[in-house]
Amino acid sequence: MSTQEKTGEQAGDKQTVDIMKRDITVGRNGVPVAKAKTTGGGYRTYEIYQRMRPGETTSKMKPNRLISEEYLSDPYSVTELLRENYPCFRDWIGNSFWITQYNDVTSIFTDEANFETRSKLWFYGIEEYGRDLRGEIPVLYAQANALDNNARAIAERIADDLAASDAPNLAIDFAARYAMELLCYSWGIPEADQEAFVERYWRMQRGINWEPVAEQAGRDAINEMTAYFEPLLAERRANPGEEMVSAIAGLELEDGPATAADVTTSLLEGDHESLHGGLANMWFLLLTNPDQLDVIKDDGRLIKFAWFETLRHSTPVLTAKRFARHEVERFGVLIPEGGLLNCSAAGANRDPRIYENPDKFEVTRKDVCQREPRGMYRADGLPAGVAFGFGPPSKHPAVPDDRPRSLYAITRDLAVTATEVLLEKMPNIHLKPGAAPELRSLRIGEMHTCWDLPVEG
Amino acid sequence: MSTTTAPSGCPFSGSLASAIDPDLATGELKPGASTDFPLMPEGEAVDMGHAPDGTPLLDPRIFNTMEFFRNPYPYYRIMRDHYPVFHDKLHNCYYVTRYDDITDCYFDDEGFNTIPKGASSGVLGNTQLELSGVEHRRRRNLYGQHLVGKSLNNRIPAIEQLAEEMIKDWDNMTPEQGVEDKDGTRTVALGKAFANEFPIRVVCQVLGFPDEAREDFYYWYNSMMSGLGGSETQQEGLEARQHLEDYVEGIVEERRKNPTFLYDQDGNSLGKDVISKLCETKLDGDYLSTEEITSNIALVVGGGGETTRGAILNMWYLLLQHPDQMAAVMEDEEKWDLAFHETLRHSTPIGGQPRHNTFDVELHGVHIPAGSLVNMVDFSANHDDRIFKDPETFDIFRDDLYSGKLLRSGYAKEGRYSHMAFGVGPHLCPGAWISHQEAVVGSKILSKHLKNPRIRVDLMPKDIDGESLAPIGLISVRELWLEYDLD
Repeated sequence: MSTQEKTGEQAGDKQTVDIMKRDITVGRNGVPVAKAKTTGGGYRTYEIYQRMRPGETTSKMKPNRLISEEYLSDPYSVTELLRENYPCFRDWIGNSFWITQYNDVTSIFTDEANFETRSKLWFYGIEEYGRDLRGEIPVLYAQANALDNNARAIAERIADDLAASDAPNLAIDFAARYAMELLCYSWGIPEADQEAFVERYWRMQRGINWEPVAEQAGRDAINEMTAYFEPLLAERRANPGEEMVSAIAGLELEDGPATAADVTTSLLEGDHESLHGGLANMWFLLLTNPDQLDVIKDDGRLIKFAWFETLRHSTPVLTAKRFARHEVERFGVLIPEGGLLNCSAAGANRDPRIYENPDKFEVTRKDVCQREPRGMYRADGLPAGVAFGFGPPSKHPAVPDDRPRSLYAITRDLAVTATEVLLEKMPNIHLKPGAAPELRSLRIGEMHTCWDLPVEG
Repeated sequence: MSTTTAPSGCPFSGSLASAIDPDLATGELKPGASTDFPLMPEGEAVDMGHAPDGTPLLDPRIFNTMEFFRNPYPYYRIMRDHYPVFHDKLHNCYYVTRYDDITDCYFDDEGFNTIPKGASSGVLGNTQLELSGVEHRRRRNLYGQHLVGKSLNNRIPAIEQLAEEMIKDWDNMTPEQGVEDKDGTRTVALGKAFANEFPIRVVCQVLGFPDEAREDFYYWYNSMMSGLGGSETQQEGLEARQHLEDYVEGIVEERRKNPTFLYDQDGNSLGKDVISKLCETKLDGDYLSTEEITSNIALVVGGGGETTRGAILNMWYLLLQHPDQMAAVMEDEEKWDLAFHETLRHSTPIGGQPRHNTFDVELHGVHIPAGSLVNMVDFSANHDDRIFKDPETFDIFRDDLYSGKLLRSGYAKEGRYSHMAFGVGPHLCPGAWISHQEAVVGSKILSKHLKNPRIRVDLMPKDIDGESLAPIGLISVRELWLEYDLD
């Protein structure tokens, strides 16, 4: 605000002005201040003990390691150091707390009274764009049906392509493509548009991060996406099909019919990472542990356990961000209101307090949950791997009758189907000799998965 | 649905990898987390991309680079002009960079709270830095009164005498101690031989530490300062803090029984030293605890050193690069005040203060959720060309800078504005006045002794061209090698 603007205001006056069409109070110094609707007053009038003793330092951990090249490829040795030394680590560079023990991470996830998630639009700094309609029941059914109906056909086609390829890369040509084609078909994107759609989709998803060029590209992609959905939505409204855009077009909503921005928002807030990354990571683990591949070849029923074990051992989503709704003391640490908690799935999933020999990839492991992780952990009394970390936990641990089975279960089935098909089409699949695949994130904060998995057979 | 029931063709055919990441398509996995930022000529920013409307983009990784440390101002200019509230998602914080906004936020200590368990409190303990409102006012008045007004003016002769003594000592010092004589000239490392020690000795005196504590004082001061904010040397910082406490505890017990006094050179009493005064101070009807006294001594020890040291070195470094201004100051010693304030505006020793916003705030269209870390960048306020024209130029005669007595309310009248180096509002640096006195008094004495001073350019760090002197950037001059004529 400029000096000129300020001169009209008198110190001590409070007045209400219209900024971004919201009621905002102007504080006595002209700074617009609005009481938060969801959070308590954070004005602290009491003193707390602040000093640290020499024994309390976190000197074994250099916070730069959390944004280092090392963390991109091997997050596990970094999070192990935190988990075993500083389970609630104050990261001054990233202005956050790292939570790395399993019980701590899950206790945060299930504590919605104290910790909140923020939408991807928030990370973009975009307010009031569109509504996230993924939870509407017709949309859930459209999604479930489209995925169930298309999965096998898509898997067979791309497995054939993979088998016929000169240089088959399972990670991109199978896992990523499978997830993307399923996305296209579940949203009802015409084939001619799919390539451009996927490109925009990726730009949009990667823009939520901190990288400014990617963020700008992501904003552009959001606008392009909405412009693209505009005519598609109108067409589907007139001539509805059975996929998600049609389902959204047909919704009867309190605040008016769905718009193209709502479609874009729903697409943005969703996530492909668990299927794409999980499938790639599962095959990475199976191919680099051929004995485990033999286990599932012998008994196809075990494929789903390989999936659960993958989500535990090498989950593609490494951290989930939660923000403290108010000042709260946890793990012996005072977490200020608004404090960011990086809940580390990488740390939790390798916690030796929970899993025996946690670094070992073992399909027939007996100490991991044998139901799909639903965001409500320990679904059958055993701890599930922490995956699907970005969103809040499922509100429906037991899925109500009027809903399709949970997306966690659907994703499990999609991964199992793809794996079954691939084993049918390429029964002797193995790693290309000499290949040394690895898992890595392309950028800090992004999916940890395999990008180059050359196969033969 | 005809478009979706029969998936047939392949829409991606190899393009999927490039949709995800162009590097994937070429099969080349480059490290994705960092690009190296080149060192730019001073005042120019690295091109980090542009939005379609031409707005320059700002990559938050720049804040971790050497480039930013030596050449921060073009990046702050981008922020001021294009992102007056910049959301840094890598470091999970916001930056407020315009002078007016920072002033507003500093005054609004209800809306912009100081931070509990902040970066400094682990080492220093509970200090007024982390308090707000009434609590803050009460403490601040207890401790701050010893650093202002009459109690400060009374100490000027002692400060002068100290400076004279230190300069006199140069005659007996070795090259290792920073002083070397040759052919009628003397080369002196102004930091090592004067500026590092001078403010600490003043603080030592004001607090009432015995002389033998001086050596430990360097240890406390250096270790605690470098141990702030969970840095790699935090362990040493905490150990030093413990050591300080052990030492102060004894002194406090002694002074509770037998207070000690300060005297001027003529033997007149200047009143009790700060520790003795604190020992008899009551809060809520009870005496301050040793922990409370120690925490605030730790704050004074920390705050009183680096800033004043930086101000003295920066001031001489800048003046000597502008000989006409140096000559004017040498001619009229009243002008040291102008030089001091312009130095603090141009090359501020302390970058800014962190705040948490108490409520959800909308500032320049950016919605800041309650409890976010909002960094008030004093560096940037002082280079805001909405306030100071041609802000990158060092000019002690500029007509838009207020250089009178520092005011808690700040100063903005008739086109003159106070600089932001000490902050403004309730948390204005309580050491501002004593720091001013030290730097100006010390420099006046120095200027009497230093005949024809010039920078030993050969001994100083160079800029990227390998010839000109390095810019000051975010960290004050570490050492200043001067040469002057002995006769």
